[in-house]
Amino acid sequence: MTNPVFWVGVLTLALIYGSLAMVLNVESGWGGMWDLGVAGLLASGAYCYIILGIDDPDLGTRFVPGLPMWLAWPLAAAFTGLVALAIALPSLRLRREYFLITTLAFAEIIRQIAVIQADLTRGTTGFSSLDRPFDTLVEPRDYNYVLLGIVAFAALVVYLITRRIGTSAYGRTLRAARDNEALALALGKRVNRMRIKTFVVAGVLIGAIAPLYLFYIRAITPQLFAPGITFTIWTALVIGGIGSIRGGLVGAVVLIVFTEAVGLIEVDPQYINILVSIEPFLVGLLLVLVLRFRPDGLISERNAFGTRAGRRARRVPA
Amino acid sequence: MELVLDGVRKVFGGVVAVADVSAVIPQDQVTALIGPNGAGKTTLFNAVTGFDPPDQGTITFGGRRINGLPPWRVAELGLIRTFQTPVGFTTLTVRESMLAAATPWFMETPRGAFGLGPGFGRKGRKLERDAEIRTGEIAAELGLEDLLDVRTDELSAGDRKLLEFARQLMAQPKMLLLDEPAAAVAPANIGRLSQLVRRLCDERGLGSLIIDHNLSFLMQIADEVHVLDQGVLIASGPPEAIAADPEVMRVYLGEQAAEGAGP
Repeated sequence: MTNPVFWVGVLTLALIYGSLAMVLNVESGWGGMWDLGVAGLLASGAYCYIILGIDDPDLGTRFVPGLPMWLAWPLAAAFTGLVALAIALPSLRLRREYFLITTLAFAEIIRQIAVIQADLTRGTTGFSSLDRPFDTLVEPRDYNYVLLGIVAFAALVVYLITRRIGTSAYGRTLRAARDNEALALALGKRVNRMRIKTFVVAGVLIGAIAPLYLFYIRAITPQLFAPGITFTIWTALVIGGIGSIRGGLVGAVVLIVFTEAVGLIEVDPQYINILVSIEPFLVGLLLVLVLRFRPDGLISERNAFGTRAGRRARRVPA
Repeated sequence: MELVLDGVRKVFGGVVAVADVSAVIPQDQVTALIGPNGAGKTTLFNAVTGFDPPDQGTITFGGRRINGLPPWRVAELGLIRTFQTPVGFTTLTVRESMLAAATPWFMETPRGAFGLGPGFGRKGRKLERDAEIRTGEIAAELGLEDLLDVRTDELSAGDRKLLEFARQLMAQPKMLLLDEPAAAVAPANIGRLSQLVRRLCDERGLGSLIIDHNLSFLMQIADEVHVLDQGVLIASGPPEAIAADPEVMRVYLGEQAAEGAGP
């Protein structure tokens, strides 16, 4: 319980999920595009990064590009942006739940491609013991602190980017079109083009975050990108507050710390199976409690954007 | 800039909703389009604004063919419409709604969010400042200045209607298309509403095309009235002539009498 390294790891994971949730918020919270395909974009970025960095012919892959990390990383982000564009063009002809199902399907297709294209991805074997930035500078057992620093910096950058989007005219019009698409069109807003661009921006950011996730996990197999990870990110965003600016980050920290803390409860070994199976139940309970008592999440969109004057004026009789 | 409809036809399944309507809507006057429920008024609106393009015929605005253009392009050319129910951008404040209506497209891109692209630097800041000044002016003109920071879904129905006009004006239109502006407005306020629409249009030299059921409202405000019945334009002319037309009386006032018995 008191092992600091454990909590460093938990916080690292929470900040990675938090970064992803803040990106998800741009497309889903403000853009109104209910994307259930985050795992697919994450997989695209992660595999692109790994494959571009392969420098060992003994791994038996078809390509051995051996690109350095600093080159593979931005290329992975750019590639994920292209994948996002390919997904957005057909999917954005649909709305709401139909869009949601389509993005989920695309994510599963990407995962299956990762399984089948074994000459690129090493299929279900995957890759392990990846190189990580600055890992030659410190003792391996101290690396967790370095990674936390890198991830915290990345989360800050993602926060600043998404906050800038949210407070700009661009974010405002995204929210307007989400609230009332017909009205936005009637005011001359290029709604569809704007949404496609937003989806691509989200793809680039997810692709840029993907290598961080790999540094944390230290291995990659297609199973890593099962839909579960998308749902975890969504849960974090809902707990934190869809449409707010910091909600995704706050929600992810609450959710991940809560989940990991449940796993730390000391029980008699004969009850350990019960504890493991009760964990998703407790996460569900947390979600239900948040939705019951703070339906807009811990930080609501109203609090993120409404001004103090506006909140006071709510009491003015209609 | 005048809006010209030439043989506009719209068919849904086997039903002819709009049958070869031709009309000229000039820019310097208020034109009304009346007709009973199901006459095809909103269908015609949707055809003009690109939401539901016509099957036949041409629509031009300022000499430029606009049928087949997407709604946002029609709006960019200066034809700004409203919708029957003034829902608005529910979670945006009055100020945000008005600014959103005024923002040029190149500021509404990911690049634009970071001050890059055509809205770069001083030009972008000037555009933003001008929009803020106009927001203040138009809000004051419409009596919305105390509600600028209130969310749209917390406005009264009347204020939401005013916000419709405010947004339209922020978009710097050349012609307004108003879909039932007098619906759900208390009879006592109809006079104020018609004065407001008149003033907004006259001061800016805006044309407007208004659909409504409320005859007395339209007769107060319109320079010219077109009557639509079952998709066919059955009469056009100044309000007095239309009010005296026996055919109009039959199709339209019969419907009014029936409506008067309802809620």
